[in-house]
Amino acid sequence: MSQLIWMINLIPDMFWTILLWAGVLAIVASYLLGKIPFVQQYKIPLRVGGVVAVLIGVYFYGVIANEAKWQAKIKELEEKVAVAEAKSTETNTVVKTEIVEKVKVIKQKAEKQIEYVDRVIEKDKEIIKYVENCPVPKSIIDQINEAAKGVKQ
Amino acid sequence: MKYLAIILALTLAGCTSVPIKQKFPEAIPELKEKCPDLKQIEGDKVAITDLLKSVITNYNMYYECSLKNDGWNKWYNEQRKIYESVK
Repeated sequence: MSQLIWMINLIPDMFWTILLWAGVLAIVASYLLGKIPFVQQYKIPLRVGGVVAVLIGVYFYGVIANEAKWQAKIKELEEKVAVAEAKSTETNTVVKTEIVEKVKVIKQKAEKQIEYVDRVIEKDKEIIKYVENCPVPKSIIDQINEAAKGVKQ
Repeated sequence: MKYLAIILALTLAGCTSVPIKQKFPEAIPELKEKCPDLKQIEGDKVAITDLLKSVITNYNMYYECSLKNDGWNKWYNEQRKIYESVK
């Protein structure tokens, strides 16, 4: 079926217009020229041929119109898809930038806090005394580690 | 005439859908990164300051992961809106 349509598509659109009008002219001629003795013997074939030509011509006019309608629809969709792709890329960039920036802020904050612990808290005499005399009991550490493990799938 | 009618009937099969497929976009790699495991505290004698550092690290890891989760939701909702606008 697709090969047939492909072959028909090779015929220029103008051909179907000519065929349609030739058919119409053939039908009209079969009526008008039917009274002329020489033409009279070709009256019936001319009329049948004209009707067939008109039918085929009208049919392919419809095919051309239908094809044009689908081509327009394809073009419209292609344009919509192109716009959507551009918007999608823009959204990707926005989300990516947002994440990268915020992750950077979070990491900086963590670094500053750790640095503060190293620089200030660990040098505080009260804390040094506490660290030296009161290590955190292992059972507490185990519980914290257990909670940090979460549920593995 | 009979054959012509059959051929014409066969050609009546027209397009039923536009041959254009829209793809749902691929997510950005930052969103696909797995959330890291929380930091464990190592050693037998652990100072309170080490515990504090571990807590700080884990809190920040949570916020980083939470941020990515929010990013996923935002990304998906936006992309779905865009995808559905093409119809």
